[in-house]
Amino acid sequence: MTQNNDIPPALLGGLEPLSRRSLLRLAAVSGVALTAGCARVFGRRDAPEALTYVNLTEDEVRVVTQFTRAVLPTSRHGLPDCINEIPTIKNVDIMVGNMDPTQRQLLALGLWVYEYRPMASFKFKRFSKLNEEKAHAYVVAMQEGAFFERGLTTTLKALVTLNYWRDSRTWSALDYWGPVTERWGVRRLGNAPLPQA
Amino acid sequence: MSRIDTVNAVPAHGLQVIQATDVSSGKHEMRADVVVIGSGAGGAVAAYELARKGLDVLILEAGPYVPSSQFSEDFNESLERLYEDFGGQTNKEGDLLLLQGRCVGGSTVVNGCVSFRTPDFILQEWGRDFGLTNLSPEAMQPWFERVEKHLSIEDNAEHEIAGHSRLVRDGARKLGWSVKPFKRNIRDCALTGHCLSGCKTDRKQSMLVTYLPWAMAHGARLHADTRVTRILENGGRAVGVEAEVIGHDGTKVADIRVDANTVVLAAGAVQSPLLMQKSGLGNSSGQVGKNFACHPSMYVAAKYPHEVFPWRGALLGVYVDEFLRPEKGGFVLEAGGLGAVEMTMLNEPGTGKPFMKFMEEARYKSGIVTLIHDHNVGEIRWEDGRKVVDYQVSDKDFPSMLAALKASAQIHFAAGATEVYVPSVEKLVIRQESEIDAVLAKLENKPQRLRLVSYHPQGTLRMGSDPARSVVAPHGESHDVKGLYVTDASLLPTSIIVNPQVTVYALASYISEEILSRL
Repeated sequence: MTQNNDIPPALLGGLEPLSRRSLLRLAAVSGVALTAGCARVFGRRDAPEALTYVNLTEDEVRVVTQFTRAVLPTSRHGLPDCINEIPTIKNVDIMVGNMDPTQRQLLALGLWVYEYRPMASFKFKRFSKLNEEKAHAYVVAMQEGAFFERGLTTTLKALVTLNYWRDSRTWSALDYWGPVTERWGVRRLGNAPLPQA
Repeated sequence: MSRIDTVNAVPAHGLQVIQATDVSSGKHEMRADVVVIGSGAGGAVAAYELARKGLDVLILEAGPYVPSSQFSEDFNESLERLYEDFGGQTNKEGDLLLLQGRCVGGSTVVNGCVSFRTPDFILQEWGRDFGLTNLSPEAMQPWFERVEKHLSIEDNAEHEIAGHSRLVRDGARKLGWSVKPFKRNIRDCALTGHCLSGCKTDRKQSMLVTYLPWAMAHGARLHADTRVTRILENGGRAVGVEAEVIGHDGTKVADIRVDANTVVLAAGAVQSPLLMQKSGLGNSSGQVGKNFACHPSMYVAAKYPHEVFPWRGALLGVYVDEFLRPEKGGFVLEAGGLGAVEMTMLNEPGTGKPFMKFMEEARYKSGIVTLIHDHNVGEIRWEDGRKVVDYQVSDKDFPSMLAALKASAQIHFAAGATEVYVPSVEKLVIRQESEIDAVLAKLENKPQRLRLVSYHPQGTLRMGSDPARSVVAPHGESHDVKGLYVTDASLLPTSIIVNPQVTVYALASYISEEILSRL
């Protein structure tokens, strides 16, 4: 796991430097979060205990893990656990590795905001330090918050839910049939014949 | 001009494509009568229609060649391999996902096969407002008939109307609304429901298995992994292109220059105007990249008291055209299925327990895709070295969005749904018909409010008779650059409400005829 933190030093003193434009661009990461790299996942069936994170910082892993648990209380629903069985965070880590530098920095900024955004009702605690109930309430509050809070939360939700449900081990609980052509033995038709003049 | 009269046999499977791995490093020079930029709907049709008349055609495709045998039926993996920006192309606010194919065959490989002719009233509007009297319904009819025959376009049979679509049909009928089976370009649909990941068994009649192999049988050459960086012009006439061959690891393999007296631009309504801008060409009107429209769509999901399995059967079965005409609302509702993974993206059922419940009940869900006749208010441009899609739903169009949402909810309740999920960023669930207006009244036309997806970018190189208001002349040639033709959805001067693939096929066929008549 990398110890680097790419957050610009100017931001560590508070949230004031966050321009609306930066947050608009951060929201635009959502598209990437939906897909880029989610699709470049290798070893997505690895045992989570064997996983190492090469792109997310320790702080970011804590934020994403806390967020994933708040959004996906899988074990209480008879589904494979979103952290210990399905490598959701590793999938996110690989996705982050495929981001271009600007997108990566914006995501880092977003995760930093999620962790440190002061909210009086949460006594200025860091998100990753909240208990389960408070973490859930925090995510709900952000989802219903200002424009950029909604956008950021939607982005992170897409990030973790896709990286959980993309694993075929989660499909049987939904009765989702997944890829079927080879299982059904459907014949390929090939190229269409040249049109007759 | 060279002339190729030999016609080869169409191979049973696959294409002979030159890929980055086949190209040595350095600079390469090539010649052709026609260079076609893009291998999707507009490019493939033009390539075939020109090659079959004996022209030496070279097709350059920025995306990779992925044979259908390699399609995975895994939507996430398909997004990365087959879609623009790995499926992550958005508007600048990040609240509109813009899905376009980026592979040999373009968006035709990953679309839902829906095949509409351009509505007559749209063609009449183009004649009246843009001087496109050459595209009247009567004039276009033979072109529509030609592509429909070539692509096996037929009404869905009853077995192709899956359970999720039958629900929508039942609801619409109870409301007395017009509902019809889709026409689709497909042969003997295998009902896998994986259209958006490409058709693994070649039943979808995409360009990958039709016009491209046909063009190549007539001698056309196809290079994948080759992104055109500049259209070359000399004395007001197109003379070729410059391109880069990019390997799958993102590194540049080679530079290419192609000399050709005719350039056909068909890279899609986002990339085509960007290429014009980068080339510094054809913009005396100032309209290049302007007038972007995209049919912003929502997926209105609902829960039923019985299992529906939205991923089972043909992806798209029926559509409601009751509100097609602008005076009746200007929107179309399409009954659509989707997979479990996609379901996580399109609704906001809540956080934690309600989200888990929503997913656990996925098999009880059905959905309706809304398409509106949006105004051409957007713009595509370069900004700080990056592509910018500047588009927000116009206030003029927001009432149509709401009307489409309301009608979708009404259909769901008429069909027996118990909950309708508003595709918003915040959690909004309608539990009975009497609540529809009150819930929808909470929506505002502001960024990050609705969950929007577009599959139909269009309008950015507008066609018209007036060079001051349009980029491309009625016969498809740039007003400013002779020999430069456009054959993709950039041409459409207004949004057309319905899925545009047949419109593009027909226009590309027509413009090819115009090119031939001018050689």
